[in-house]
Amino acid sequence: MPEGKLCNKKPVNTKEELQALLTDKSGKQYYEEMNHLDVDRKALWGTIQKSFKSRLKTWLEICSHCGLCGEACFYYLANNKDPRQVPSYKIQQTLGKIIKRKGDVENAFMQECMDTSYAKCTCCTRCGVYCPFGIDTGIMFSYLRGLLFSQGFVPWEMKIGSGMHRIYRAQMDVTVEDWVDTCEWMAEEYEDDWPGLTIPVDKQNADIMYTVNAREPKHYPEDIAEAAILFHVAGENWTVPSEGWEETSLAMFGGDWEACKLQVESVYAAMDRLKPKRMVVTECGHAYRATVIEGPYWAGLKSGKTPVESLHYVEWVAEALRTGKLKIDPSKKIKEPVTYQDSCNYVRNAGLGDIAREIMSYIAEDFREMSPCREHNFCCGGGGGLNGIGRYREQRNIGLKVKRDQILATGAKLVIAPCHNCWDAIRDLEEIYKIGIRWSFLKPLLINMIEVPEELKPKEE
Amino acid sequence: MFKKLLFATTASPTCDNAAKVAFDLELKWDAKLFVFHVLGVPTRGYSPFVTDIRTGETEQVDPDYIEWVIEEMKNTYGELLKDSENSVLETVVGTPHREILRKARKENVDMIVMGAHTREEDVGATRYRAIAGSTMQKVAKAARCPVVIISRPCTTCWKLFSNIVIGTDFSKPAEYAFRWAHKLAKTVGARLHIFHAFDISSGNYGQARGQNEIEEKIEEARKKIEKNYISKMKGYDNYSIEIWEGIPYVEILKFARERQADLIVMAHHTREIDPKLAELGSTVEQVVLRASCPVASVNHPDKVADLDI
Repeated sequence: MPEGKLCNKKPVNTKEELQALLTDKSGKQYYEEMNHLDVDRKALWGTIQKSFKSRLKTWLEICSHCGLCGEACFYYLANNKDPRQVPSYKIQQTLGKIIKRKGDVENAFMQECMDTSYAKCTCCTRCGVYCPFGIDTGIMFSYLRGLLFSQGFVPWEMKIGSGMHRIYRAQMDVTVEDWVDTCEWMAEEYEDDWPGLTIPVDKQNADIMYTVNAREPKHYPEDIAEAAILFHVAGENWTVPSEGWEETSLAMFGGDWEACKLQVESVYAAMDRLKPKRMVVTECGHAYRATVIEGPYWAGLKSGKTPVESLHYVEWVAEALRTGKLKIDPSKKIKEPVTYQDSCNYVRNAGLGDIAREIMSYIAEDFREMSPCREHNFCCGGGGGLNGIGRYREQRNIGLKVKRDQILATGAKLVIAPCHNCWDAIRDLEEIYKIGIRWSFLKPLLINMIEVPEELKPKEE
Repeated sequence: MFKKLLFATTASPTCDNAAKVAFDLELKWDAKLFVFHVLGVPTRGYSPFVTDIRTGETEQVDPDYIEWVIEEMKNTYGELLKDSENSVLETVVGTPHREILRKARKENVDMIVMGAHTREEDVGATRYRAIAGSTMQKVAKAARCPVVIISRPCTTCWKLFSNIVIGTDFSKPAEYAFRWAHKLAKTVGARLHIFHAFDISSGNYGQARGQNEIEEKIEEARKKIEKNYISKMKGYDNYSIEIWEGIPYVEILKFARERQADLIVMAHHTREIDPKLAELGSTVEQVVLRASCPVASVNHPDKVADLDI
């Protein structure tokens, strides 16, 4: 059987196809079909010849198998230093072999590649920092995921995620109407406590265009309200676009390069349409990487930059606190020991380490660094889409041990995680290992700490 | 007064008392009843897993699972559904308070009916207590319509209510609560007990309040009630005014018990939404957990503004 009904080489482009996938509980039928999926060797080799360029070629070629990347990989550490978890080994056994064999590979091997590229690598790119040649295995695995996607070897949830992006331009089924209505709803719900609070949609020439993660309108809309409150108190002239509001990219994790492009183009189109001075993205790591770091290349923007200057939420927070737009009430600073989770996707991809420390200097009295931290920080354990994939739950839970031990060593009971994915992984590690910690985004903490100008307070009646 | 009702349920015995009231309201007021269960809390990221609220188990949701939950609900409410004429069962995945509020807003319901956990022997009681306590708080704070919370058996049909207590602290939301309570009292012909508790605990610690001060405050409150409320009742004379001093939730409970209240109406407008702090601090929560009758929380004018009173 060359192509399955659910598991095949064709990306999901219609609601019917998406529904069929969703109905297949845990991807049971999907993975069964995958066992019979043919590899189109000619197409695979054709794709490689077009896309496998000098950087990746050099990396695969010059790796001297020194093994320095081993200690850098949290999977290697979490799995009792199993040599099969050394990044160099992992990539040579997968992508390396595909290249050597000029794409002449079997179904079983492709599944092995899929298992390795999702359950043994979160594309956190930490190993690249330690390689004497600067070989970034995480980037190579991202590339491998793309090859696998083109052949239909992609975890069920990632196929769904990329389909969502293609159909809704969001990782979940949130329509433009749903989104705009949610903004109205949140303004309505919070205006009693914050008189004058609005969430302006499609305002032209605003100073800030704010974009989010689809999880927020879908399940946690108070996150949008909290962002609105902080912009409101800071006196920002801001807006959200009715279309092009979603920053995340499951397509990036799933290796669906075409959907990656479609997704970021929707955001860039919003920038062109509304002409904001700057764009700020919510507390999400991979969303920032996808739209701000990688996106311009996917969209073929010559500058390599987004159409307008783009900031991660932590950059905006640091600026607002530095310039006094937001003022922290000194008596409300966090007094207990608190630590901070650097998200791989913006600390190693954009160097936002200093910014985070600046924020902590304003809001915390007893800030405890994780060790290692900043660019050297370990992945939360759920990156690269891993949190979302049922098939690899067990491997993920083993990987979480590294973050658990890092947090325990700080002695802090509160972890600030300005990334949806890290937030989730840390929540899960508490559920699994029960170490007695709490975790939070910055927004709710800030709202409890800021000084609110008299005129913005509700009038007592 | 009640055309559309939302019964937010855990679909467990915890909500049995509330269920009876909800279905009774549907029948007696010819209302449409949405029986609504939020079955799981999703993760923050994009995980396919949800945590089932009742069992705490991790589940992967698909249409079959949702269908199964609906079947379970049908079994749970089998007896009540037999007589029901206009009810819809529905279940969704999400954070409970958020989905309840979303549904209430979408359907523009006139009232939300919820249960409140009181029985330790219930399955998952601790988990439920933690989730439901904060769910109740958050729904009561943000809902645009009245929210009635039922924690103990309520055998009196709403149309036969004879004593309704409205507890006021003279805030704006309390005025909405009063308007709604008055409307209900008038509609069903109940006596409206307008009650205020002068909070003697709110002063500086260690500083006892003098009897004179307390009496002054009580007199002040009486004047306020006459000016703000009685004047608006347009001749409805089936009411009483009472002002006691003490800790508000204790006093209102004592008063409700003394008058054999069928319903307590209050505003729940604490600005404190951190469930850990609000749970112990909020008068409404204390009243809900201890009252032997249903407690209605009204905070917004939406469903009372154009009530003809």
